[in-house]
Amino acid sequence: MREYSIIGKPTPNVDGPAKVTGEAAYTIDMTLPNMLHGKILRSPYPHAKIISIDISKAEKFPGVKGIVTGKDSPGGRYGLWRRFRELSDQECLATDKVRYIGDPVAAVAAINEEIAERALDLIEVEYEPMPAVFDPIEAIKEDAPMVHDDFPSNINATRHIEWGNVDDGFAKADYVREDRYVLSPAHPCCMEVHNSLASFDKGTGRLTVWSSTQSPYFLQQGLADALKMREGDIRVIKPHVGGGYGGKNSTMPDSILSSMLSMKTGRPVKIVFNRDEEFTATEHRTGQHMAIKIGLKKDGTIVAMEVKTITNGGAFTALGATTLYLTGTFITMPYKIPNYRYDGVRAYTNTVWGTSIRGFGAVPAKFISETQLDRAAHDLGIDPLEIRLKNAVEPGYQAPGQYTFESCAIKPCIEKMRERAKEKWPKLAKDEGIGYSAFAYMSGGIFNWIDTPYAYSSAHIKVNIDGTVDLYTQASDIGQGHNTVAAMICAEELGIGIEDIRLHLGDTAHTYTDLGAWGSRETLMNGNAIKDAAGQVKNKLIEIARLKLGENIAYDLVAKNKRVYLELRPERGLSYYDLVKDAIKANDGVPIVGTGHYTPHNKGMISPAYGMGVMAIKVKVDRETGHVEAQDVLVVHDCGQVINPLGARGQVEGSVHMGLGYGMCEEMPMDQGMVLNPEFVDYKILRTRDMPQIEILDVPTYEPNGPFGAKEAAEATIAPTAPAFANAVYAACGAEFYSNVLKPEKVLKAIREKEAKEKATSKAKSN
Amino acid sequence: MKRELKIVVNGESYDFYIEPKTLLVQVIREMLGFKGTHQACDSSSCAACTVILDGKAVKSCSILALQANGKEVLTIEGLADGPKLHPIQQAFIDNWAFQCGFCTSGQIMGAKALLDENPDPTREEIQSAMDGHICRCTGYNMINEAILDAAKRLQAQKNSQPQKGSRSAKSEEVA
Amino acid sequence: MANYRCPMCRKICSEHLDLARHYLGQTDKKHKEWLKTQGLSYAKLITDQVTQFGNKGYQDLADVLKKTATEVKDI
Repeated sequence: MREYSIIGKPTPNVDGPAKVTGEAAYTIDMTLPNMLHGKILRSPYPHAKIISIDISKAEKFPGVKGIVTGKDSPGGRYGLWRRFRELSDQECLATDKVRYIGDPVAAVAAINEEIAERALDLIEVEYEPMPAVFDPIEAIKEDAPMVHDDFPSNINATRHIEWGNVDDGFAKADYVREDRYVLSPAHPCCMEVHNSLASFDKGTGRLTVWSSTQSPYFLQQGLADALKMREGDIRVIKPHVGGGYGGKNSTMPDSILSSMLSMKTGRPVKIVFNRDEEFTATEHRTGQHMAIKIGLKKDGTIVAMEVKTITNGGAFTALGATTLYLTGTFITMPYKIPNYRYDGVRAYTNTVWGTSIRGFGAVPAKFISETQLDRAAHDLGIDPLEIRLKNAVEPGYQAPGQYTFESCAIKPCIEKMRERAKEKWPKLAKDEGIGYSAFAYMSGGIFNWIDTPYAYSSAHIKVNIDGTVDLYTQASDIGQGHNTVAAMICAEELGIGIEDIRLHLGDTAHTYTDLGAWGSRETLMNGNAIKDAAGQVKNKLIEIARLKLGENIAYDLVAKNKRVYLELRPERGLSYYDLVKDAIKANDGVPIVGTGHYTPHNKGMISPAYGMGVMAIKVKVDRETGHVEAQDVLVVHDCGQVINPLGARGQVEGSVHMGLGYGMCEEMPMDQGMVLNPEFVDYKILRTRDMPQIEILDVPTYEPNGPFGAKEAAEATIAPTAPAFANAVYAACGAEFYSNVLKPEKVLKAIREKEAKEKATSKAKSN
Repeated sequence: MKRELKIVVNGESYDFYIEPKTLLVQVIREMLGFKGTHQACDSSSCAACTVILDGKAVKSCSILALQANGKEVLTIEGLADGPKLHPIQQAFIDNWAFQCGFCTSGQIMGAKALLDENPDPTREEIQSAMDGHICRCTGYNMINEAILDAAKRLQAQKNSQPQKGSRSAKSEEVA
Repeated sequence: MANYRCPMCRKICSEHLDLARHYLGQTDKKHKEWLKTQGLSYAKLITDQVTQFGNKGYQDLADVLKKTATEVKDI
């Protein structure tokens, strides 16, 4: 592996001092002079016609300064799937009908939150409830109530992926099994709720919005579509963000309605969701029905796989259509599957909608495929790591028409896992078990569902006379540590220190486009753009150095340690700071600039690069209570060149926490479209006492498509966690699960069922 | 009818007239403008709003401001000594014990209250004391490591200070 | 080799099954309406395809396309 000055070294978070002193400003902390507070009136029905809305009493309530209803809507429709406009299916406010419990019907701006809330009670809405549908299988029936008129049978999106000849494959298999699963929805649970502060300037007709968002650009587009404004007349600023995890990609009512109220009142308006609204009216991880069929040779080689899924999309598309597709591709990774078929349907229902939460479809996918693989391995008498190793892909592997793995060390990861697991856990006590799961994940997405004409990531660098650097990019740090990575990449390329760099991120007015923080794209895509921009600046300095040093053009000059020098004779070089002065003087006093871009081309349908690896979890099962203790976690992964080991570790730890929650306790039960546990009291999140320690081993590779060989690091590890946990329980006590969320009562039931089955089998044998 | 609130926050005395229903977190965030203390739930479940009230960690969303009448409150803004970070804050930075940072103020104040009472906790004692704090980003292990590290730093700081009651060499010379 | 044109747009495939796959991926009204004229239901075809292993939805449509899709001579 290559040695760098900054890349690969543990680097503290550049936002550290701000975050540990309480000085970091989040949207929720911001105020503007003359600011009003907004609150949203939401539908109590899952599906109903709006007959009338009377705001007259509310308007007169002292302290109320403005109210908007569907009549005030500019009429634009919005949604992330802009490539197919019928999938931009959201309105600013419900006009003719409401589609889920919580659908916004009106919004009030008042001098304080309490008055705004009391005014909501004075708005009189007459509804005519209509039949509603909540389950996706019911929703796609011919006679189901229609959530959107343009989508008969509520079929929001379908996806079909196929290669090889699946029926032939199954015919040749020695062992075939089919399994059906039901996966629960789960919520991202960002600690900072959705909130926005909008300020409309009546003079210029321009809008400025501060928002807790993952993508200032997506928000700018969404607002432009919704409010029927030019994108360029909307400025979005992303302050520090208290978590996103996929739940803050979409334009949401907090930003639209604060904007509409600001336009109406002529004053800045801030809308902050409460935690109930956060659970009931923001995006979550989709619940779905899945079926999977696998065919193997008796030596464990996979010959065919077929997967079917019906997902509960909820009332709108958001990024759900993308998740539907990615479920069908991630499920095949990281294995060679010669014959494959996937069919997915996303159904509209009258519930709050699902989108692209951390793991982007890989989470339910790996749960079903990795648990099934373990049962198949058991039936065939093959070791679970052995069966994974046998089927693991190699560098250069191509899934026909879909994806290619360039850098790829899954086999070395599995081999290292086998060695380390044996060392770490030489003996197991009674009722203990180890479960494994392999995984792979994208480094940013390729398909342009957002319909942007821009490069996927851009960065602009300006070098000042004293050598300080201003780095401008729209990329987003939402806690994953991208600000630090951006500074590290820029500093490494220019050969300077992080302390020389001032970051300007996440403001659409001052930067070129970046598509935002999702799908693990920032390190690779924004990193490439930054490296490109910095490289242009570096080349200008190198040109001047070459002139001044008078060296032959054949000799290489490098920028490192704040110097530019001959690679072969390091003593011959010039100071970076002197070269900057020379370069600016030679440029008629204009600071040196570089503008870099990155858009993946000819890299398949999904992503230019993939992180991958294998996870093991050790558990202990209490057969009396069904409680499972997750004791220990081991991750062996290939994430190319790790840029910041501290940040990468942090992300793995966070992914495992969320993945374990998906496997142990996080669920969103709904009844007639109502979320039953909309508070942290009832929505269980793992606490510090529940978390096992995690050992992480790297198998470094060099990813040619990534900056300095980097690629996705750590979002991948959310997907294998729940299946590794379920496989560990299976290993410990033989209990099988066909749904996630292994609560104690479910584990107990599965154990009892297994014991009853064994009793019946041995009784039959003895008769 | 408004009532008088006398309170010391981060070493400064304040005198307010407030509605009795005002929560301590509202005084901190809205009246004093100390935005470092965050609210992340409405059910007293997450401890993001933790401050120290007369030496004890409390959830400021669940305390009426008048319950703090005549008492001392320490918020995250009161921890650093000007530009010099408190050892707990430095330990959090050095151990990457935060990511989005939204729960961090509460975590640090909870850690301070713990270390003030138990300067040498085990990992299990840390987990027990900090179990009320929700973090959605870190998975908690790096926070625990930061607190263990902070305990060592505080102990080292204490050991390097002259003992109370003993005379330094210099003062003996002067005497 | 024979090629077949989609009844509702310019798409050409060499296999009726591929044509059926193309067809059921189209989300516009006119594609969905044509199915009704053939006594087929978009919802039923999709439901069959996604609730059972195998290719039932596509196969049922492919069988109809075998009788109705125009053959396009090699260019």
